[in-house]
Amino acid sequence: MSAIANAATSRRSFLLGAAGVLATGRLPKASAQSSKTAREFTLTAAKGRTPLVRAQPETDVWCYDGIVPGPLIRARQGETIRIIVENRLGEDTTVHWHGIRLPLAMDGVPSISQPPIAPGQRFTYEFTPPDAGTFWYHPHADSLQQLGRGLAGAFIVEEPEPVAVDREVVWMLTDWRLTTEAQIASGFGNGMDAAMSGRVGNTVTLNGIVSDEEPVGAGERIRLRLINSSLARIMALRFQGHRPLIVAIDGQPCDPHEPDGGRVLLGPAMRIDVVLDMHGEPGRRYKVIDDFYDGLAYWLTELAYDDKPPLRAHILDPPLTLPRNPVPDPDLTTAQMHELRLQGGMMGGGGMAGMGGMSNAVWAINGRSMTGDGHAEMTPLLALTLGRSYVLTLRNDTAWWHPIHLHGHSFRVLSRNGRAVPSRQWADTVLVPPKQAVEVAFVADNPGDWMLHCHVTDHQVSGMMAVLRIA
Amino acid sequence: MKRRTFCIGCLIIAISPALPAISAEPIRATLYKSPQCTCCEGYAAYLRSNGFEVEVKPTNDLNQISERAGVPAKYQGCHTMFVDGYVVDGHVPVEVVRKLLSERPPVAGVTLPGMPTGSPGMSGKKTKAFVIYAVTKDGKEPTVYTRV
Repeated sequence: MSAIANAATSRRSFLLGAAGVLATGRLPKASAQSSKTAREFTLTAAKGRTPLVRAQPETDVWCYDGIVPGPLIRARQGETIRIIVENRLGEDTTVHWHGIRLPLAMDGVPSISQPPIAPGQRFTYEFTPPDAGTFWYHPHADSLQQLGRGLAGAFIVEEPEPVAVDREVVWMLTDWRLTTEAQIASGFGNGMDAAMSGRVGNTVTLNGIVSDEEPVGAGERIRLRLINSSLARIMALRFQGHRPLIVAIDGQPCDPHEPDGGRVLLGPAMRIDVVLDMHGEPGRRYKVIDDFYDGLAYWLTELAYDDKPPLRAHILDPPLTLPRNPVPDPDLTTAQMHELRLQGGMMGGGGMAGMGGMSNAVWAINGRSMTGDGHAEMTPLLALTLGRSYVLTLRNDTAWWHPIHLHGHSFRVLSRNGRAVPSRQWADTVLVPPKQAVEVAFVADNPGDWMLHCHVTDHQVSGMMAVLRIA
Repeated sequence: MKRRTFCIGCLIIAISPALPAISAEPIRATLYKSPQCTCCEGYAAYLRSNGFEVEVKPTNDLNQISERAGVPAKYQGCHTMFVDGYVVDGHVPVEVVRKLLSERPPVAGVTLPGMPTGSPGMSGKKTKAFVIYAVTKDGKEPTVYTRV
């Protein structure tokens, strides 16, 4: 069902100077068939086995098309695609096309967008991605287990004109909580995870396997698409000896900029495109380190240079700027303001019970807790007027980090703690540190009941979720 | 630097064997906590002020460490400590830890589930007695060890 892209032989087939990209990476692609109106893909969700850790037993997973991560879907901006999802799991599922601005009925939220796909059933998703960029797909049903057991894949929407890099690479980074036998540990949804940092695991895979090295060549310019498909792990990536330049966040181009302190901060569900100019020495290796959690730094992989002389004598100049997507600019002079207070959790101080009480709700937004994966009875937290601009202040009153995701829209990230965010950053999932506030703005141009939730999945399913109604 | 945190569970076995407590010396303990939890530091400070020598180790594997030590999920506190051959889970008051180490009952250890307000390291006022449970490694339901 999946065509295996042969990356090994094609990785140095770059295009010098000329605008062009060769999409490689080792992610098997979803096979597509052209039909009269839309390009068609199929995805089958089922149980499977995959080697996540070398020299360890294979891991029992739930996955798409038998592989982890699921097949890489590539579409072109503005092209209608149809994806037929078949459910061979033992329980209901849906697929959420994370970050893609599409009609509500295609958004994959059970009951709100569509009836869940029952075991043995199929559902056909059809939409036209308006934006080029790095997106991903995952279930929005029994999310803790279905995402935590491996159901996720990358979804790339290509620009109409190829971007001037030598090579493009996708790194789907996934955190797993494994037992010593390399099996997925039980205990999904336990109270301690729910009320603290979520189910952070102990093993991080790169495109489905713990990576020892990623081959690179001196002098090449790489567009590296980073996707954090973890349930809860936040990553802060440092590229030893290299200066990553962020060119897009959550699929939306920004002004190219170096991240603070050289660390690429990547919360669950976030994507960051960086341009890496490979100015290391041939034959050398450089570690990619994730040091987000104090005292728990580890290296994710090594950039392993081949022995060939540098592809070019000088680093390319100027930096790559991606073409903007057709996302409407919010009108800040007329925008209506709303504050969303994120509440609860351990050490939350008042309000929520935190631990002890074994109620499902541990978290809340403005005092209200919506639990699970989405359901029809939930009354909207906010009613927004179609076409109007809004500024949301996401104020984190808790002691924990929350990547807040809004469905159906991309938003401009205006400020953090009152300080303007530079580099024209847009996102669909914004990381809000403890006791901090982030202002985002968007045009409510997509009608429907849209989810807004924390993408630390434990937090989502235990109350940090709400519906914004746009009509 | 660690390659990754996989297999951290194996380490526990290596470091938990009982060291005989010598009364003149501080009692040594190793406390595992979530890297982002701050109340656990408060608990470590409380133990230190009571003469313990506490090494704090951040981990994202708390759930597995606790379970492996015999503490079932719904009885877990927010951190897990190993002291003199016993597991002490959660914000257990120091007098209970001392009682455990002097009585040396045939259990895996004790736990104060959750994060009760007013317990050592936690803010707020104590509103009711803390129930501390004894846990074993044979899968049996924990029993009440003491109330304080």
